[in-house]
Amino acid sequence: MAVSTVTAVSYRVEHITHYEYTAPVTLSQQLLHLTPRNLPWQQCETHALKIDPQAAEYIERRDFFGNRIAQFAVRTAHRELVVLADSVVHLGPRWESLDIEGSPSWESVRDRLRDVTQAPLLDPGQFLFESPNVAISAELAGYAAASFPAGRALLAGTRDLMGRIHADFEFDAHATTVATPLSEVIAHRRGVCQDFAHLMIGCLRMLGLPARYVSGYLLTRPPPGMPRLVGADASHAWVSVFCPESGWVDFDPTNNLLPDLEHITVAWGRDFSDVTPMRGVILGGGTQELDVSVTVTPLGKATPAPGPGS
Amino acid sequence: MPRQLLAAYPPPGPHFDEMLEAPFKPRAHWQRLFDHLVRTPSPRMRSTLQSVERQVYENGITYNVYADPQGVERPWELDVLPFILSPEEWAGIEAAIVQRATLLNRILADVYGPQSLLREGHLPPALIHGHAGFLRAAHGVPAPDGVHLHVYAADLARSPDGRWWVIADRTQAPSGTGYALENRLVISRAFPELFRDLKVQHLADFFRTLRDSLSHWAPNDDDAPRIVLLTPGPYNETYFEHAYLARYLGFPLVEGSDLTVRDGCVWLKTLSGLQRVHAILRRLDDDFCDPLELRSDSALGIPGLTEVARRGNVLIANALGSNLLESGALLGFLPGLSEHLLGEPLRMPSVATWWCGEPAALEEVIDGLDKLVIKAAFPQLRMTPVFGEDLGEARRNELVAAMRARPHDYVAQELVRLSQAPVWDREHPRRLEARSVGLRVYACASPNGYVVMPGGLTRVSSADDSRVLSMQRGGSSKDTWVLSHAPVSTFSLLRRSIGPQDLVRSGSNLSSRVVENLFWFGRYAERCDSTARLLRVALGRLIDDVPARHDAEWPAIVSLCRASQLLDDEVDALDDIDIEDALIAATLDEAVPRGLNAHLRHLYRVAFHLRERLSLDNWRTLNRLVQQLARHERRNGSLAEVLSLLDRTVVTLMTLAGFALDGMTRDQGWRFLSIGRRLERLQSMSQTIAHALAAARPGREADLDWLLEAADSIVTYRSRYMARPEWMPVLDLLVLDESNPRSISFQVLGLHDFLVRLAESFGPCDEGLFEPLIARLHALDAARDLQPGSAALPALLGDLQSLSYSLSDLLTMRFFSHVAQSQRSFAR
Repeated sequence: MAVSTVTAVSYRVEHITHYEYTAPVTLSQQLLHLTPRNLPWQQCETHALKIDPQAAEYIERRDFFGNRIAQFAVRTAHRELVVLADSVVHLGPRWESLDIEGSPSWESVRDRLRDVTQAPLLDPGQFLFESPNVAISAELAGYAAASFPAGRALLAGTRDLMGRIHADFEFDAHATTVATPLSEVIAHRRGVCQDFAHLMIGCLRMLGLPARYVSGYLLTRPPPGMPRLVGADASHAWVSVFCPESGWVDFDPTNNLLPDLEHITVAWGRDFSDVTPMRGVILGGGTQELDVSVTVTPLGKATPAPGPGS
Repeated sequence: MPRQLLAAYPPPGPHFDEMLEAPFKPRAHWQRLFDHLVRTPSPRMRSTLQSVERQVYENGITYNVYADPQGVERPWELDVLPFILSPEEWAGIEAAIVQRATLLNRILADVYGPQSLLREGHLPPALIHGHAGFLRAAHGVPAPDGVHLHVYAADLARSPDGRWWVIADRTQAPSGTGYALENRLVISRAFPELFRDLKVQHLADFFRTLRDSLSHWAPNDDDAPRIVLLTPGPYNETYFEHAYLARYLGFPLVEGSDLTVRDGCVWLKTLSGLQRVHAILRRLDDDFCDPLELRSDSALGIPGLTEVARRGNVLIANALGSNLLESGALLGFLPGLSEHLLGEPLRMPSVATWWCGEPAALEEVIDGLDKLVIKAAFPQLRMTPVFGEDLGEARRNELVAAMRARPHDYVAQELVRLSQAPVWDREHPRRLEARSVGLRVYACASPNGYVVMPGGLTRVSSADDSRVLSMQRGGSSKDTWVLSHAPVSTFSLLRRSIGPQDLVRSGSNLSSRVVENLFWFGRYAERCDSTARLLRVALGRLIDDVPARHDAEWPAIVSLCRASQLLDDEVDALDDIDIEDALIAATLDEAVPRGLNAHLRHLYRVAFHLRERLSLDNWRTLNRLVQQLARHERRNGSLAEVLSLLDRTVVTLMTLAGFALDGMTRDQGWRFLSIGRRLERLQSMSQTIAHALAAARPGREADLDWLLEAADSIVTYRSRYMARPEWMPVLDLLVLDESNPRSISFQVLGLHDFLVRLAESFGPCDEGLFEPLIARLHALDAARDLQPGSAALPALLGDLQSLSYSLSDLLTMRFFSHVAQSQRSFAR
């Protein structure tokens, strides 16, 4: 893969979640995955959360996957809840080189993970199984098979799978909700980035390959002359597959590309349910209306960039 | 006459026989029971059997069977003969269970902590990560003294050679201890002398240890820790046991909505505000415990609970995530783990189990499929165990293909040929039959290590399939007698002494949910009563073919039925047949939303949620009524039948009212029930009188019998006036007479009084609400206002109706609002 000619870039991310309720909410408890991770190629310089109305309780911690979590409770009766996450993030190139065709065969990766005679690969080993939003099914295995003939290099097969999903499925912001099961996405061949990520993860796991879900952002306005990426005005999601030699390698089936300098990583987990940007339980509220907006703005070159990742 | 007793009893064959060591020769520890049975004459044995059945019924020991479409509770199945274990044999079982509980707890502590077992290859990571019971949110949650597993149960079976094997481990929220206690209570009374002479070990010490240990480990803030028993609710299969254990242990029985999280602690919502909860003994599944961090679709849990546990501010028993060990896949690794973690061999083997995730095991399993049971490796896969020997060619191939595609999802187990024990044949009261049995034993953690309950729940297979032990599938149970050489401890939790400081009188610690349900119980009971009476009045007028009925009274009755939504606008007021059909539907048809049957269903539903607070008589009475109506609904009876049904309904509702009046202590709960009743009666009486007044025609003689009948005041009236009812005396009796429990004044003054008392306990609650209306009632002038055409009375009746609505809202906001429906949200 060609290494990006741009060496570093900085972004400001504003993620606004706005709930309106038809009846007063007397207690709201929320769990947030809105803080970008620090990674070899990514540094989150500042991060601020603004909650309105003011939270009565607020704590921050890390979850099982090392993602940063904020948890808060609002106890004053309210008909509106706004959470603004404001972050400044620096990105560097991820790969000095990445040999896609030369990666190990997919079967060898599968067998390595199943091997009980060697020391277990603990981190990837946890992303092999069914998870709340990725139900296993024969359909997934059937769809995946075409991309993984015997002996195919893992990353080449994965890239092919990504391309097929991008070609076969239509992006449709209204086709699905967070509750739409994967089987329905497969049946109707449309959905949003979360659905495509779940689909691709399901295909890989059916083959015995470790795949995880990455939640994050995309550059909202592209540089001059470049096309605007799909899914840029909301939170975005893509897929990471584990390759023993390179570690985790990201794929974005919504845009059919390998994320690099335009993808900001917030959190990862088995699927959406592990890293939902904002999930909560409220008391009261009647009907709720949700509005989410994400703005990612490139900043000037004033800040030093991190070096390339491993 | 042992031969008669054993006429139908199979000789020991391929099974181990618990009672006989050779044909007609009982084992030493069964001898006494056997001799007793031989000696007991038939009539006495029959009366013992009946007494067991009666006690099961009267104690209300039930078990909900999910598959039953009616959701009807089934009486608990209990065989009269105990299962007996000798002291020597028990010592071996006890030691093995202590060891196993210790081992399983160490595994939990590692998996939810450092995970060195995974890293060092002692436990395949797939067993953990592939198990939906591995709760990532519970990783790193502190456990005092490293105890995750507070209550543990093992299902044991005995093979033909007499050895015990562990078939399954129950590590999440083992059920059955309460049933074991009830079995003991009933069976020890069936054989009182034997029970004493055999020195059967008592169970109460075990529960004291459980209670004391939970107190010991609960977070400490100077007060005595408050421990609650968390139940999923009355629809759960073992709800009876939850209620029973809560009472036995002295813990409040709570549902998730009774608890809330605030300032990093868990609180119980009570009438008098929030009270800190220090420990939760849970019967709710792991992932349902916290909809915020765990399963988001759970309506049963407590949002934020996990974080409280993470901060060490609440003890959850068993710890969140303990379901992880309920996996057949783990069994094969336990011998190695025992050597590694405890440095000793496993004392009691698990039934031979292969996890197909190991390639060699998979091939072995497929080769020997006929002799194996195939089960899901992880409980989330919800697969019914498949007996290899039952499979035809096609299904066998299907299964093998599925196993090859996802080998780590399957385990195979050897079939254990269960031992057999005697059960009493109900048809022939002098005959024993043999059934397969298994033993569920329990252990609880204590600061001195695990303690095993000396006894357990013996489960008996149904006659249909001797391979399966399941209460869900028609099995039965036995009391388990562990004999002892030494004198037994006779401590009992039920008889513990209560000091003056323990006396509880006020009931202000009642949970808001219970109080809300009591309020609605009162309202629905009264609503059923007024609806039944009105229907009886209206249908009664249709059966007596009195020409005068189309005079003044009839339009009033019809308009009242319309206002009560028993008749809709479509029904022609002049067509008697039409009206009759509609009124019968309003009585019997559950689909008429404001009809009698619908109200009764509501009453039943509320009562169901109050079951642990209602006496058994109360519950049976209501149950009978609902079933009566359901029978009629299917038959769609004649007018006369429906009238007689209404008569019976009214009587039953009076009985229920009598229970509340005579059988309930006057605590805050009773107060709310009474407020519900009076509020509802105030509404219906105001409405009834208003419609009667509105339909009155000046100059025409009124027939007010119906009004007195609807208000259940006809006897009083006649005893007082010996004359045709007239407006002034009728209205005096129904509106102003403070001694008539049906009158408006009676309701208003009573409600006022209740509000004043609530204010005494809980601070101001608009206790002055009724004062202006009481003044207006007093200001009514008999000559001027107790007549049709007066403006003051209808206006007052209207205001009373709207006031009763605002009182209901007020109580809801003030005392019940905690129970508001919560909902979940996700933003992506």
